[in-house]
Amino acid sequence: MKYLALLLAVLMLVCYGCASKPAQPAQKSMTAEEQARLAQEEALKRKEREGRISEEDLAKTRADRERLEREKGLQEKKTALPASDIYFEYDSYSVQPEDLPKIKEVSEWLKINNAVRIVVEGHCDERGTVEYNLALGQKRAEVVKNHLTKFGVDEKRIRIISFGKEIPVDPGHTEDAWSKNRRVHFSIDQKG
Amino acid sequence: MTKIKCMVVVLFLIFIAGTAESKVYLDVYGKTYKKITIGVPSFQSDRPDRLRMDMSDLLNQDLDMSGFFIVAPNSLLDRELSDEGIEKKDIKFTNWRSIGVELLCKARFILANGEIALEAYLYDTLDGSLLLAKRYRSSPEEWRKLVHRLADDILLAVTGEKGIMSSRVVFVSGSKRNKDVYIAGIDGQGIRQITNFQNIMVSPSISPDGRFLAYTSYKEGKPNLFIMDLETGKDIHSDREEGMKLGTAWLGKSTLGYAKTSGNHSTIYTIDAASRQKKAIFTKEGILTSPSFSPDGTKMVFVSDMFGSPQVFIKDLSSGDAKRLTYSGNYNTSPSFSPKGDLIAFVAKINGSFEICTMNMDGSNQRVLTSGGINDSPQFSPCGRYILYSSKKSDHYNVYIMLYNGENKRMLKLTNKDEEQPRFVP
Repeated sequence: MKYLALLLAVLMLVCYGCASKPAQPAQKSMTAEEQARLAQEEALKRKEREGRISEEDLAKTRADRERLEREKGLQEKKTALPASDIYFEYDSYSVQPEDLPKIKEVSEWLKINNAVRIVVEGHCDERGTVEYNLALGQKRAEVVKNHLTKFGVDEKRIRIISFGKEIPVDPGHTEDAWSKNRRVHFSIDQKG
Repeated sequence: MTKIKCMVVVLFLIFIAGTAESKVYLDVYGKTYKKITIGVPSFQSDRPDRLRMDMSDLLNQDLDMSGFFIVAPNSLLDRELSDEGIEKKDIKFTNWRSIGVELLCKARFILANGEIALEAYLYDTLDGSLLLAKRYRSSPEEWRKLVHRLADDILLAVTGEKGIMSSRVVFVSGSKRNKDVYIAGIDGQGIRQITNFQNIMVSPSISPDGRFLAYTSYKEGKPNLFIMDLETGKDIHSDREEGMKLGTAWLGKSTLGYAKTSGNHSTIYTIDAASRQKKAIFTKEGILTSPSFSPDGTKMVFVSDMFGSPQVFIKDLSSGDAKRLTYSGNYNTSPSFSPKGDLIAFVAKINGSFEICTMNMDGSNQRVLTSGGINDSPQFSPCGRYILYSSKKSDHYNVYIMLYNGENKRMLKLTNKDEEQPRFVP
């Protein structure tokens, strides 16, 4: 909270500075007499305003704070990768047509955040052999990557990795758990 | 009863005829052979300590695990039987026969000059003939190894081929995202941790000359394949190309085969650990994985999804011809050649479970050897009579061994964690 107040103060100062600058050339063309008169008038007006200034300030600070919080929220939305995983049928590496919009969303996000690289992780459920599942996870990640490049993402920005059945999100042994584990997951490539 | 006696005699004759005939035993008696009842009374010694019992207990355990014997329980042996001497002249074979014991193993040891000296005899109770007489020496700490050697020799005397109780296994053990390679004796003793990467670890295997360990590790953040020199513990080769690289199998002395899936294609490579010469031997769209080579090196079995589901194929390496072997079901994977070259073990999805199966080289005569759960990574013993595999029934993977026909399943007591992808150490 303290920092926010400080930030506000700084912000206000900056705003004030910016606003006053364009006025300067006009002021320069005025005579010294006029300037003195204006300054006097300003001083008087200020005195008049002083009574209600604190009230105005408070309202302004409140509005500013709200605006900043709104902006911050928007920014967070921008930096977070769309969270949805892509799910697969058993022993399949074809993307379901209804999941294409999810991949499209990720590609759109990548176009906005064009400096970010991502990792596309392929996962499988526990049913099957260790080795075949690792190959299957690779194919799932490859297929999603192909869709991303079709949507215009540079393939150099996509790293793929298969985890086979090594990292299930749900440790259960039911169809519900398995369907959650057969997935492609997106994450930001921390290695850049 | 007389039939069994005859069999023992026949076996004995086969043994005498030499090990070249050893295959006959399993082929002739195949699925219908009957286990032989063997009696192993407590070993004799001038020392009254527990070791006498420990040694005979371990021998009984080994013989039970071999799958060829019914071990006569100790409760069956009365004082007269257990106190009897170990030489032929001291033994009343009729007494042993009367309790159903067909073969009798007797041994005595002395502890002197810092070592154990054991003499062991194996008798046929039918006529008191001697099938085995041998002396063994070892340091007192290594008494277990000594008993395993005796067990392997008893197997040799009775079946014409050595047992596997002196063998070691290499396997992956650990928990989610934290696995490493271990080596242990088949009795679970002498466990040694070989790698310490605390990451995902797959497909370890040791070269036939025992010098190299091939494995796929995520230690660098992605699945890379390495060949480690076991003498120095250092990696002498790595494949860090893009893609999934795994499924290690050895060919000849020190040539490694493995599969890589990347882009639209998969490729099976061989690389010579000594010369580092790498060769792409097969490329195909989709998935290719789990190569395994015939003992003569002329054929390769592998998994491909070229017809839409994972199936096992065989490829003649000189002509290049590939043939599909599995047609039943939509999930057949993890093929592995028998070192005898007559059978291929694999995993098939049957009624929602993943079962270890065997088939002939042409895909005929498919047999299901397990029932239920997720069974994986079958591998034959160097003698071809046993299959090592991992099995998950509830929440944990454990290593099991069984006879090649699915009988005599025994869990190996190795670690308390998940154990996967077991293989014999050559």
